[in-house]
Amino acid sequence: MATANGSTVIGESILINGNLQGDEDLTVRGRVEGTVTLTRTLVVEPTGVVKAEVQVKNCIIAGVVIGNVTATESVEITKEGRMVGDIGAPRVIIVDGASFKGRVDMGDVDVSAAERGERPAARTLPRPSARPALGSARPARAAAPKEEAPADASAAPRPPAPPPSLGMGALKRKVVVKRK
Amino acid sequence: MAALDKPAAPRSGANTVIGSSIVIDGEISGDEDLIIEGTVKGKIALRQSLFVEGSGVIEADIETANVEVSGQVTGNIAATDKVELKADCKVVGDIRAPRILIADGAAFKGNVDMEVGARGPSPRGK
Repeated sequence: MATANGSTVIGESILINGNLQGDEDLTVRGRVEGTVTLTRTLVVEPTGVVKAEVQVKNCIIAGVVIGNVTATESVEITKEGRMVGDIGAPRVIIVDGASFKGRVDMGDVDVSAAERGERPAARTLPRPSARPALGSARPARAAAPKEEAPADASAAPRPPAPPPSLGMGALKRKVVVKRK
Repeated sequence: MAALDKPAAPRSGANTVIGSSIVIDGEISGDEDLIIEGTVKGKIALRQSLFVEGSGVIEADIETANVEVSGQVTGNIAATDKVELKADCKVVGDIRAPRILIADGAAFKGNVDMEVGARGPSPRGK
Protein backbone atom coordinates (compact mmCIF):
# COMPACT_ATOMS: atom_id res chain seq x y z
CA MET A 1 0.00 0.00 0.00
CA ALA A 2 1.34 3.37 -0.85
CA THR A 3 2.16 5.47 2.13
CA ALA A 4 1.78 9.18 2.00
CA ASN A 5 4.71 11.15 3.20
CA GLY A 6 4.62 11.71 6.90
CA SER A 7 2.59 8.68 7.78
CA THR A 8 4.01 5.80 9.66
CA VAL A 9 3.41 2.15 8.97
CA ILE A 10 4.66 -0.75 11.00
CA GLY A 11 4.85 -3.67 8.61
CA GLU A 12 3.68 -7.17 9.29
CA SER A 13 7.00 -8.70 10.23
CA ILE A 14 8.13 -5.82 12.39
CA LEU A 15 8.23 -5.98 16.16
CA ILE A 16 8.73 -2.82 18.16
CA ASN A 17 9.38 -3.19 21.82
CA GLY A 18 9.52 0.02 23.79
CA ASN A 19 8.06 3.46 23.75
CA LEU A 20 6.66 4.99 20.63
CA GLN A 21 5.46 8.54 20.39
CA GLY A 22 4.69 10.93 17.63
CA ASP A 23 2.51 13.54 15.99
CA GLU A 24 1.26 11.65 12.99
CA ASP A 25 -1.02 8.78 12.11
CA LEU A 26 0.31 5.35 12.82
CA THR A 27 -0.79 2.17 11.12
CA VAL A 28 0.22 -1.06 12.78
CA ARG A 29 0.30 -4.25 10.77
CA GLY A 30 2.97 -5.88 12.87
CA ARG A 31 3.53 -5.94 16.61
CA VAL A 32 4.08 -3.09 19.00
CA GLU A 33 4.74 -3.70 22.66
CA GLY A 34 5.30 -1.07 25.32
CA THR A 35 3.66 2.30 25.10
CA VAL A 36 2.19 4.21 22.19
CA THR A 37 1.61 7.93 22.55
CA LEU A 38 0.30 9.84 19.57
CA THR A 39 -1.41 13.14 19.01
CA ARG A 40 -3.21 11.62 16.08
CA THR A 41 -4.80 8.37 15.00
CA LEU A 42 -3.67 4.86 15.69
CA VAL A 43 -4.98 2.25 13.30
CA VAL A 44 -4.44 -1.36 14.22
CA GLU A 45 -5.02 -3.38 11.10
CA PRO A 46 -6.25 -6.98 11.15
CA THR A 47 -2.71 -8.32 11.16
CA GLY A 48 -1.60 -5.89 13.81
CA VAL A 49 -1.02 -6.71 17.45
CA VAL A 50 -0.55 -3.97 20.00
CA LYS A 51 0.32 -4.91 23.55
CA ALA A 52 0.73 -1.51 24.98
CA GLU A 53 -0.57 1.36 26.98
CA VAL A 54 -2.04 3.48 24.24
CA GLN A 55 -2.65 7.20 24.43
CA VAL A 56 -3.91 8.72 21.21
CA LYS A 57 -6.46 11.06 19.78
CA ASN A 58 -8.34 8.41 17.82
CA CYS A 59 -7.93 4.69 17.81
CA ILE A 60 -9.35 2.26 15.28
CA ILE A 61 -8.93 -1.35 16.21
CA ALA A 62 -9.29 -3.96 13.51
CA GLY A 63 -6.60 -6.19 14.93
CA VAL A 64 -5.63 -7.14 18.44
CA VAL A 65 -5.05 -4.71 21.27
CA ILE A 66 -4.07 -5.83 24.72
CA GLY A 67 -3.71 -2.95 27.10
CA ASN A 68 -5.48 0.18 28.07
CA VAL A 69 -6.44 2.67 25.43
CA THR A 70 -6.99 6.30 26.28
CA ALA A 71 -8.18 8.50 23.48
CA THR A 72 -9.00 12.17 23.58
CA GLU A 73 -11.59 11.73 20.84
CA SER A 74 -12.73 8.24 19.99
CA VAL A 75 -12.03 4.56 20.11
CA GLU A 76 -13.59 2.26 17.57
CA ILE A 77 -13.41 -1.50 17.61
CA THR A 78 -14.36 -2.84 14.22
CA LYS A 79 -15.92 -6.19 13.54
CA GLU A 80 -12.51 -7.80 13.16
CA GLY A 81 -11.16 -6.11 16.24
CA ARG A 82 -10.30 -7.85 19.46
CA MET A 83 -9.34 -6.03 22.57
CA VAL A 84 -8.61 -6.75 26.20
CA GLY A 85 -8.15 -3.72 28.37
CA ASP A 86 -9.84 -0.58 29.50
CA ILE A 87 -11.01 2.16 27.21
CA GLY A 88 -11.17 5.77 28.20
CA ALA A 89 -12.56 8.07 25.55
CA PRO A 90 -15.47 10.44 25.11
CA ARG A 91 -16.71 8.36 22.20
CA VAL A 92 -16.45 4.62 22.11
CA ILE A 93 -17.77 2.62 19.18
CA ILE A 94 -17.95 -1.13 19.41
CA VAL A 95 -19.55 -2.69 16.39
CA ASP A 96 -21.26 -6.03 16.05
CA GLY A 97 -18.68 -8.79 15.75
CA ALA A 98 -16.03 -7.06 17.77
CA SER A 99 -14.75 -8.77 20.85
CA PHE A 100 -13.83 -6.77 23.87
CA LYS A 101 -13.16 -7.37 27.51
CA GLY A 102 -12.55 -4.49 29.81
CA ARG A 103 -14.01 -1.33 31.16
CA VAL A 104 -15.34 1.59 29.24
CA ASP A 105 -15.15 5.05 30.65
CA MET A 106 -16.60 7.80 28.53
CA GLY A 107 -16.42 10.43 31.22
CA ASP A 108 -12.78 10.36 32.05
CA VAL A 109 -11.41 12.51 29.30
CA ASP A 110 -10.94 16.25 29.48
CA VAL A 111 -12.83 16.54 32.69
CA SER A 112 -12.86 20.03 34.04
CA ALA A 113 -15.18 21.83 36.38
CA ALA A 114 -16.28 24.15 33.62
CA GLU A 115 -17.37 21.31 31.38
CA ARG A 116 -19.07 19.36 34.09
CA GLY A 117 -22.23 21.42 34.02
CA GLU A 118 -22.87 20.97 30.35
CA ARG A 119 -21.81 17.38 30.01
CA PRO A 120 -25.13 15.65 30.83
CA ALA A 121 -26.88 17.71 28.22
CA ALA A 122 -24.21 17.00 25.70
CA ARG A 123 -24.40 13.29 26.32
CA THR A 124 -28.07 13.02 25.53
CA LEU A 125 -27.51 14.50 22.13
CA PRO A 126 -26.89 12.16 19.27
CA ARG A 127 -23.24 11.55 18.74
CA PRO A 128 -21.58 13.68 16.16
CA SER A 129 -20.83 11.73 13.09
CA ALA A 130 -17.54 13.44 12.50
CA ARG A 131 -15.57 10.39 13.35
CA PRO A 132 -12.17 9.82 11.80
CA ALA A 133 -12.56 8.63 8.29
CA LEU A 134 -12.42 4.89 8.09
CA GLY A 135 -13.32 4.72 4.46
CA SER A 136 -16.84 3.47 4.85
CA ALA A 137 -18.56 5.01 7.79
CA ARG A 138 -20.99 2.72 9.50
CA PRO A 139 -24.43 3.50 8.11
CA ALA A 140 -26.45 2.66 11.19
CA ARG A 141 -25.45 5.45 13.47
CA ALA A 142 -28.68 5.25 15.42
CA ALA A 143 -27.84 1.75 16.53
CA ALA A 144 -24.55 2.74 18.07
CA PRO A 145 -25.70 3.36 21.64
CA LYS A 146 -27.44 0.00 21.66
CA GLU A 147 -24.31 -1.70 20.47
CA GLU A 148 -22.35 -0.28 23.29
CA ALA A 149 -24.60 -1.59 25.99
CA PRO A 150 -23.91 -5.31 25.49
CA ALA A 151 -20.25 -4.56 25.32
CA ASP A 152 -20.47 -3.07 28.75
CA ALA A 153 -22.43 -6.01 29.94
CA SER A 154 -19.58 -8.25 28.91
CA ALA A 155 -17.27 -5.93 30.70
CA ALA A 156 -19.32 -5.92 33.83
CA PRO A 157 -18.45 -9.38 35.19
CA ARG A 158 -14.84 -8.35 35.31
CA PRO A 159 -14.25 -8.01 39.03
CA PRO A 160 -11.50 -5.47 39.48
CA ALA A 161 -13.52 -2.47 38.49
CA PRO A 162 -12.98 -0.05 41.32
CA PRO A 163 -15.71 2.41 42.18
CA PRO A 164 -15.64 4.90 39.35
CA SER A 165 -14.12 8.09 40.46
CA LEU A 166 -16.51 10.18 38.47
CA GLY A 167 -19.95 8.74 38.15
CA MET A 168 -21.43 10.74 35.35
CA GLY A 169 -22.91 9.78 32.07
CA ALA A 170 -25.76 7.43 31.43
CA LEU A 171 -23.57 4.60 30.26
CA LYS A 172 -21.63 4.41 33.46
CA ARG A 173 -24.76 4.11 35.50
CA LYS A 174 -25.87 1.24 33.33
CA VAL A 175 -22.71 -0.64 34.09
CA VAL A 176 -23.14 -0.21 37.80
CA VAL A 177 -26.67 -1.53 37.71
CA LYS A 178 -25.66 -4.63 35.82
CA ARG A 179 -22.91 -5.40 38.26
CA LYS A 180 -25.41 -5.60 41.07
CA MET B 1 30.36 8.17 -8.28
CA ALA B 2 27.01 8.28 -9.94
CA ALA B 3 25.01 7.48 -6.85
CA LEU B 4 26.45 10.39 -4.98
CA ASP B 5 23.77 12.97 -5.44
CA LYS B 6 20.91 10.66 -6.08
CA PRO B 7 17.92 11.76 -4.02
CA ALA B 8 16.38 9.22 -1.76
CA ALA B 9 14.01 7.40 -4.06
CA PRO B 10 10.80 6.01 -2.66
CA ARG B 11 11.34 2.36 -1.88
CA SER B 12 8.27 0.64 -3.06
CA GLY B 13 9.36 -2.64 -1.56
CA ALA B 14 9.38 -1.39 1.97
CA ASN B 15 6.13 -1.30 3.83
CA THR B 16 7.36 -0.12 7.16
CA VAL B 17 7.97 3.57 7.55
CA ILE B 18 8.73 5.39 10.75
CA GLY B 19 7.54 8.90 9.99
CA SER B 20 9.41 12.05 10.77
CA SER B 21 7.48 13.00 13.90
CA ILE B 22 7.75 9.56 15.45
CA VAL B 23 10.06 8.82 18.34
CA ILE B 24 10.64 5.22 19.28
CA ASP B 25 12.54 4.33 22.40
CA GLY B 26 13.14 0.61 22.46
CA GLU B 27 13.79 -2.25 20.15
CA ILE B 28 12.72 -2.77 16.58
CA SER B 29 13.10 -6.14 15.01
CA GLY B 30 11.69 -7.65 11.89
CA ASP B 31 12.01 -9.34 8.60
CA GLU B 32 11.35 -6.58 6.11
CA ASP B 33 12.78 -3.31 4.91
CA LEU B 34 12.50 -0.41 7.26
CA ILE B 35 12.56 3.27 6.40
CA ILE B 36 13.25 5.65 9.22
CA GLU B 37 12.43 9.31 8.87
CA GLY B 38 11.95 9.87 12.57
CA THR B 39 13.92 9.10 15.71
CA VAL B 40 14.78 5.69 17.07
CA LYS B 41 16.70 5.03 20.25
CA GLY B 42 17.60 1.60 21.45
CA LYS B 43 18.26 -1.23 19.07
CA ILE B 44 17.35 -2.20 15.54
CA ALA B 45 17.64 -5.76 14.32
CA LEU B 46 16.45 -6.58 10.82
CA ARG B 47 17.06 -9.30 8.33
CA GLN B 48 16.55 -6.88 5.46
CA SER B 49 17.50 -3.34 4.64
CA LEU B 50 17.42 -0.28 6.80
CA PHE B 51 17.13 3.15 5.23
CA VAL B 52 17.86 6.12 7.41
CA GLU B 53 16.48 9.08 5.53
CA GLY B 54 17.74 12.61 5.79
CA SER B 55 15.40 13.49 8.63
CA GLY B 56 16.10 10.24 10.43
CA VAL B 57 17.98 10.16 13.71
CA ILE B 58 19.15 6.87 15.14
CA GLU B 59 20.72 6.40 18.52
CA ALA B 60 20.91 2.68 18.45
CA ASP B 61 22.95 -0.33 17.65
CA ILE B 62 21.96 -1.62 14.26
CA GLU B 63 22.07 -5.18 13.06
CA THR B 64 20.79 -5.75 9.55
CA ALA B 65 21.66 -7.04 6.12
CA ASN B 66 21.93 -3.64 4.44
CA VAL B 67 22.07 -0.15 5.81
CA GLU B 68 21.78 3.03 3.83
CA VAL B 69 22.31 6.17 5.85
CA SER B 70 21.36 9.64 4.70
CA GLY B 71 20.56 10.93 8.17
CA GLN B 72 22.22 10.66 11.54
CA VAL B 73 23.31 7.50 13.27
CA THR B 74 24.95 7.24 16.64
CA GLY B 75 25.75 3.66 17.49
CA ASN B 76 27.42 0.62 16.10
CA ILE B 77 26.33 -0.79 12.79
CA ALA B 78 26.74 -4.43 11.93
CA ALA B 79 25.56 -5.50 8.51
CA THR B 80 25.84 -8.89 6.90
CA ASP B 81 25.97 -7.39 3.45
CA LYS B 82 26.59 -3.69 3.00
CA VAL B 83 26.70 -0.36 4.74
CA GLU B 84 26.39 2.75 2.66
CA LEU B 85 27.00 6.19 4.08
CA LYS B 86 25.52 8.73 1.73
CA ALA B 87 26.57 12.31 1.32
CA ASP B 88 25.35 14.55 4.14
CA CYS B 89 24.93 11.72 6.59
CA LYS B 90 26.44 11.86 10.04
CA VAL B 91 27.55 8.64 11.61
CA VAL B 92 29.35 8.09 14.89
CA GLY B 93 30.10 4.51 15.79
CA ASP B 94 31.79 1.40 14.58
CA ILE B 95 30.81 -0.23 11.34
CA ARG B 96 31.21 -3.90 10.57
CA ALA B 97 30.24 -5.21 7.18
CA PRO B 98 31.81 -7.01 4.25
CA ARG B 99 31.12 -3.99 2.05
CA ILE B 100 31.27 -0.45 3.29
CA LEU B 101 30.72 2.56 1.06
CA ILE B 102 31.39 6.07 2.27
CA ALA B 103 30.35 8.79 -0.11
CA ASP B 104 32.01 12.13 -0.51
CA GLY B 105 30.40 14.52 1.93
CA ALA B 106 29.58 11.92 4.54
CA ALA B 107 30.64 12.64 8.09
CA PHE B 108 31.82 9.57 9.92
CA LYS B 109 33.72 8.88 13.08
CA GLY B 110 34.45 5.37 14.20
CA ASN B 111 36.09 2.14 13.27
CA VAL B 112 35.55 0.30 10.07
CA ASP B 113 35.77 -3.45 10.01
CA MET B 114 35.28 -5.24 6.70
CA GLU B 115 36.12 -8.61 8.05
CA VAL B 116 33.93 -11.10 6.26
CA GLY B 117 31.57 -13.01 8.48
CA ALA B 118 31.43 -10.31 11.10
CA ARG B 119 27.99 -10.29 12.58
CA GLY B 120 26.38 -8.74 15.57
CA PRO B 121 27.33 -5.50 17.28
CA SER B 122 30.90 -5.52 18.43
CA PRO B 123 31.16 -6.49 22.07
CA ARG B 124 34.06 -4.11 22.49
CA GLY B 125 31.73 -1.19 22.58
CA LYS B 126 29.93 -2.40 25.66
